[in-house]
Amino acid sequence: MEKFKKRLTILNAVIEALIKGPETVKYPFGDLALPEGYRGKIEFDPDKCSGCGLCVRDCPADALQLNKKSREEYTLLYYPARCAYCGQCEDSCHHGAISHSNNLVGATTHKDDWVLVFKESKASQE
Amino acid sequence: MDKISIPIGPQHPLLKEPLSMMVDIAGEKVLGGSLRLGYVHRGIERLAQQRTYVQNVHLIERICGICSHVHTTAYCYAVEALLGIEIPPRAQYIRALMCELERIHSHLLWLGILAKHIGLETIFMHTWHDREMALDIMEEISGGRVSHAANQIGGVRFDLDEEHIDMIRGILKKLHSQVDGLVDIIETEPAAMARTKGVAPISPDMIKAYGVVGPVARASGVDIDLRRDAPLPPYDQLEVKVVTHPGGDAWARTFVRAEETRVSLNLCEKILEDLPEGDVSLRTPRRVPEGEVIIRAEAPRGELFYYLRSDGSDKPARLKVRTPTLATLSLLPVQLAEINVADIPVVLAGVDLCIACADR
Amino acid sequence: MIKSLFNLLVFPGFLFLVMSGLTFEWLDRKFLARFQRRVGPPWYQPLADLIKLFSKEDLLPKNANDFLAALLPLVSLASVLTAGLYVPIAGYKAFSFEGDLIVIIFLMSVPTLAYYLAGIISLGIYSVLGGGRSLLQFFSYEVPLLIALSGPAILGGSWSVSTIMEAQVNLGPFILFQPLGFILAVIGLIGKLKRDPFDIPKAKSEVVGGSLTEFSGPTLGFWNLVMDIQAVIGIFLLIDLYFGWTKMSHPSLAIIIFIIECLILVLILSGTSAIFARLRIDQLAGLGWRILVPLALLQLGLIILMGN
Repeated sequence: MEKFKKRLTILNAVIEALIKGPETVKYPFGDLALPEGYRGKIEFDPDKCSGCGLCVRDCPADALQLNKKSREEYTLLYYPARCAYCGQCEDSCHHGAISHSNNLVGATTHKDDWVLVFKESKASQE
Repeated sequence: MDKISIPIGPQHPLLKEPLSMMVDIAGEKVLGGSLRLGYVHRGIERLAQQRTYVQNVHLIERICGICSHVHTTAYCYAVEALLGIEIPPRAQYIRALMCELERIHSHLLWLGILAKHIGLETIFMHTWHDREMALDIMEEISGGRVSHAANQIGGVRFDLDEEHIDMIRGILKKLHSQVDGLVDIIETEPAAMARTKGVAPISPDMIKAYGVVGPVARASGVDIDLRRDAPLPPYDQLEVKVVTHPGGDAWARTFVRAEETRVSLNLCEKILEDLPEGDVSLRTPRRVPEGEVIIRAEAPRGELFYYLRSDGSDKPARLKVRTPTLATLSLLPVQLAEINVADIPVVLAGVDLCIACADR
Repeated sequence: MIKSLFNLLVFPGFLFLVMSGLTFEWLDRKFLARFQRRVGPPWYQPLADLIKLFSKEDLLPKNANDFLAALLPLVSLASVLTAGLYVPIAGYKAFSFEGDLIVIIFLMSVPTLAYYLAGIISLGIYSVLGGGRSLLQFFSYEVPLLIALSGPAILGGSWSVSTIMEAQVNLGPFILFQPLGFILAVIGLIGKLKRDPFDIPKAKSEVVGGSLTEFSGPTLGFWNLVMDIQAVIGIFLLIDLYFGWTKMSHPSLAIIIFIIECLILVLILSGTSAIFARLRIDQLAGLGWRILVPLALLQLGLIILMGN
């Protein structure tokens, strides 16, 4: 009897599935519900950046690039197409300038041109 | 009947990862097979020598897409052993929690693939739907579904609060009843039984001769599990029930993995119960003192071996990884001989290969 | 003349069968998807697939026989469409003669043989394997199916489908007299249609695409059409033989009942493909000859006793 009941489990599961309906999220129209701590798009706060370059040194994917002429004159570039979204830069930054949002990452058709200037210090702009 | 060779792979509906096999068949009988590997070789061991210890955590995570956490865990324990530090107990427990969740999702993934290969596509869909619950937990607590980036040298990168623990407990309870249902199905479905029972049995002697580890070895009655035999920190305080089965065939492997999933679910609950208070990470120096170390951990597929040598700089001098799949692969041509063509998927799925792990 | 042309081209001929074949494919995929907690394709998906395949290039390996490869699906299509003419649909019979049940059964077997030939001539390793398997499978399911289908014929006292159907107006649906025979006929039909759990000749993880691995373009489109039409004709035939025709006060009510019966059969077919694992070819042969044939003979004996 027990065994027979077990054998009906699959039928049960199938009927239950038929009643419950599909589990699929119709993405652009449905709610994806990403958790708070999801490592998505990287956000940057230029005011907090001191140009120390710790994030660049620790980035495992070479997604960050620091062009430094002097303490005041530097540019911090970010290549989203190379980024592995591992969160190491967020950990390495002592000033809390880099953080992950739980937004999904955008797309591009030309990954080589996809560069974001995180910070261009006043001196290097002039 | 004439002998013909059929290629399986590098591209084949049967394989999710590239692996090439030439199988000689006569009619519906398989005479033997030969293997070709290396399609996903990425040179990770060499790359690791060119990166710092901190960067390597994320590189090592990408060795495998399924058991990514246990790789970084073994690596971090190796680096910490060289540094001569012991991470806080809370961090150890969180690492173990992630390992067990990973085992659950890896075994469920495997169960689905086996079901798909024997034509039970419904079970495949339902299993992967349930597996998503384990992934949801990991996404919620670590921020990544598959690449969790949970480990850092000196601890873990996130802490669990009460809300998290309640959420995990709730999902685990739901998962438990779902897994029970799946196990019932796989243990009673007559066609599935007929397809897996007695297929490609391996004797314990063969297991020892080829050095096969993990669930495949346990399904042949070889009682090995590193979580009990050579435990990494949190496991020495946890009691791990080792599931074995004397059968040795594809059915026994199904049984062992299904039971292990339940053991892991219980273990997760135990870990949450015992979770000690305290910090979750330590500050560590960037340079690692000279020395060499060997760490072994129990991955979902068996024993994972890490050898790390440091020359005192901030980059490893040598990192050697030995994955459990390698031994299983060497046994594959032996298993393929004298079976039915229709059993090739069962054999291939039954041993649970992870080609990306093996090739690195 | 015009009635014959209408019968051949519109109802129950080409157009109706193609449309119902595509509808069947959609319903089947939708049901299966819902069993597996997926959304499933929209209603126009089978038609879109067909149009896509017909607009694609036909490619075959170098030394394959292109002419035969193009001819085989057309021959199969012709034979299943011909079979469709003799199967009464919703009580409407276009053509019929004494013994058309046997003709239908043999016309329905032509696609299986053509499928085997298609595997041999397209020169792929997987195609040859799949073709051989389809022939082996043919010998496993065909005998129990034939014995099971002879049950209604004996009860109805005729080998004409329409006569058997009309006999059930007075006697009641034959499924009540021979539930076992109905189950065997459904199993045989699943084998004939190469559906899961008997999709051994085209098991993806074993022989890639079976006989049709190398096919593409319109040829593959015709093959898919043949499979779909074969399925609907099989369903109509089983309904005619086992549920028969119900006399209602209004004819449209009877048509609705017929459609509901069709949907139930589609649901049974999708359900079995959802909950059973694929068998091995030797296991199928064992099942066919050791279990199904004795059961079918038992049912046949019971019917003969009942007739007396």
